[in-house]
Amino acid sequence: MIGTGLSLERRIQIGFGIAVAIIVAVGAAALRSTEATVSSAQWVAHTLQVRAELEAGFADLIEAETGVRGYVITGDTTYLAPYHSARATLNSRLAGLRALTADNPAQQRRLDSLDTLVATRLERFQWTIETRRTGGPAAAARAVSGGRGKELIRLVHDVITQMEEDEGRLLAQRSVTLQAKARLARLAAWTGALVALALAGLASVLVGREMAGRRVAEERLRLLVGSVRDYAIYMVDPAGYVKSWNAGAERIKGYAPPEILGQHFARFFTPEDVAAGRPAAVLHAAATEGRYEEENWRLRKDGSRFWADVVITAVRDERGALLGFAKVTRDLTERKRAEQALRASEERFRILAVTANDAILSADARGHITYFNPGAERIFGLTSDEVIDRPLTTLMPERFREAHRAGLARYVATGEARVIGKTVELAGRRKDGTEFPLELSLATWKHGSEVAFTAIIRDITARKEGEDQRRRYAAQLEAANKELEAFSYSVSHDLRAPLRGIDGFSQALLEDYHERLDDTGRDFLQRVRAGSQRMATLIDDLLSLSRVTRSELQLAEVNLSTLAAATAAELQKSDPTRAVMFSIAPDLVVRADPGLMRIVLQNLLGNAWKFTAKRSPAHVEFGVTANDNGRAYFVRDDGAGFDMAYAAKLFGAFQRLHAAAEFPGTGIGLATVQRIVHRHGGQVWAEAAPERGATFYFTL
Amino acid sequence: MNFPNEVEILLVEDNPQDEELTLRALKERNIANQLFVARDGAEALDFFFGEGSHPWREIGIVPRVILLDLKLPKVDGLEVLRRLKTDERTRALPVVVLTSSREEPDIAAAYRLGANSYIVKPVDFESFARAVSDVGLYWVLLNELPR
Repeated sequence: MIGTGLSLERRIQIGFGIAVAIIVAVGAAALRSTEATVSSAQWVAHTLQVRAELEAGFADLIEAETGVRGYVITGDTTYLAPYHSARATLNSRLAGLRALTADNPAQQRRLDSLDTLVATRLERFQWTIETRRTGGPAAAARAVSGGRGKELIRLVHDVITQMEEDEGRLLAQRSVTLQAKARLARLAAWTGALVALALAGLASVLVGREMAGRRVAEERLRLLVGSVRDYAIYMVDPAGYVKSWNAGAERIKGYAPPEILGQHFARFFTPEDVAAGRPAAVLHAAATEGRYEEENWRLRKDGSRFWADVVITAVRDERGALLGFAKVTRDLTERKRAEQALRASEERFRILAVTANDAILSADARGHITYFNPGAERIFGLTSDEVIDRPLTTLMPERFREAHRAGLARYVATGEARVIGKTVELAGRRKDGTEFPLELSLATWKHGSEVAFTAIIRDITARKEGEDQRRRYAAQLEAANKELEAFSYSVSHDLRAPLRGIDGFSQALLEDYHERLDDTGRDFLQRVRAGSQRMATLIDDLLSLSRVTRSELQLAEVNLSTLAAATAAELQKSDPTRAVMFSIAPDLVVRADPGLMRIVLQNLLGNAWKFTAKRSPAHVEFGVTANDNGRAYFVRDDGAGFDMAYAAKLFGAFQRLHAAAEFPGTGIGLATVQRIVHRHGGQVWAEAAPERGATFYFTL
Repeated sequence: MNFPNEVEILLVEDNPQDEELTLRALKERNIANQLFVARDGAEALDFFFGEGSHPWREIGIVPRVILLDLKLPKVDGLEVLRRLKTDERTRALPVVVLTSSREEPDIAAAYRLGANSYIVKPVDFESFARAVSDVGLYWVLLNELPR
């Protein structure tokens, strides 16, 4: 491979340059050899011409001699024709030979000899001819025989032979040269052809390989661009018409390639941007600057908008002519939304901090205030400007400052926190120096590598006063309860003792003085006893009611069904003569105070028992029903019932709807039930009609 | 005040009416002869631990049962109970709390301190008499004490 630093074009140029140079060199060599061959061939022809001229000249001379002899013998002048012809031709032949051999000094010198010899011979012929004509044949014969004709011919022959030999030698030499040159030319031609062929082959391989590489690279690039899904990558021509379209563009903008290729890219802009001439403006900007980038709203095919990061790059050829624009668009809607959400969230928190009633402030690691909200300004009587960059101790009474500094230093040094993450009650100092109780929640975070703090402070002056008030009330209430307890104890103990005396001594009187009393006296004493016993019952019920209020609730799982069954059994046992049909729903389990639930059921079932005294058989049912607040438990009887007009009085203490003579009782039972139900957070109510029975409901 | 030869019941009771009614109830069952009454807590404690001269203690008489009211002048019943039940000499004596109080805290405290029984005095005399005489019969006649 040729150096990779060179471009393909350069490499191809160099390759072809070398090939062309070689071909030119080969051609030149071939041309030169051909020329040499041609010149050699000319030399051969030259030699042959020289020899032919020499031989022809010699022949002319021989023929002239033969003619001259014939004339001498016969006197017939016709025999002189060859002689005359030879006189004409020999001079021209010799001149021609002199020209032919002009480059050969040796031959020129021989031609000089030949000239002389031929001239001499021709002189001799002239003389012979003259002799014949004037002297007759005998003189002529003598002249011929006495002349040196034969010797001259021999000399001419010798010179010609020398010249021929010389030319032949030259011919041989030139033939050898000619053959060598022809061989060289062939070699050069073959070599050149082979080298050119090899170069052409190499060039073809290189170019092919390069082209293949280029095709692969182009295909890869096309696939890469085409398959990118996160970016819309496409080209528009200088006028803004879409020329290419990748998968990302299809995904982001919603157009399939056939729909969009050839369309103008202005359709990606919002109507307001189009109206403002933005499509042309951005292309212009990209064309001028080479590159243009913006974030803005763009349209999808379905008309929805997305927040786009757009980069437009002008594409130019090497001469700088604008080919079009490459556009890379990214859908940043999610990021935009996140940013908007973040901004909205920041705004919310800012408003929260600004509008909060509590003081919200932050401080840096040195304990200097970095934020002070309006709530803080109001609570401390200081403006934000007055405290920013001032130490937190400004807001504290003198006595807390040292502890604060130590705590801050300890936290920054060791991370050991005593106040952070908790809510503590401390005292604050207003601008005017007055102190107030405050509640402080301190949090810390890392601001880069720096520790920072946020404090939320609430002025608890009012709450403190409220707490003090409540404490006073609680103390008063406790004292009142103690008194009530003492009172109950007294009632329990001290009110009953005299009653026992009244009853006891009445009985003693009846026993010991029985004979001295008449019936009326004994009856009065019996009434005294009944009165005292009724009062004892009232006292017991009152105490029970008071106990229900005072005792603490002990919540546990209570099976009301079991409890009701046990109570029913007790009632049945107290008067086995009565026929009462109890119907108790099974497995009614609640979370309540077991002792108090027992009292509730004893009262409700006891009432049902009592007010069904005139029914036989009577029916009493315990069950559950659904109501608005959940489950309502009920005790239903088919006894005396009551008029709903008096229902309001039902649950008041000592309220009775029936005469004591008709149904005994103190009027405390339902009051007790109501108190117990209320203490469990429930409700109690009744439904009834005179002589049609009553139903008491309670929820828990 | 009588000086019985043998005290079988020590009644600690400040209310003269109750005292009389108790005696009446016991007499009806003929078990009131050997009864001593202490009219407040201090007197009751004196009976066992006092400094003064008490012939019934000196001759080694111990009651078979103590009927103890809770609400007493000077030293209240629960304190008397505590002292009796924490002293080796008197720990074994049966103490029956006989009181008007039905209050749960009183009942719990009495048992915690070691009361042997807790009886609420009924107002109705017949019930009262039955309760007192039953207690007397049980503790004086039926119950065996260590010698």
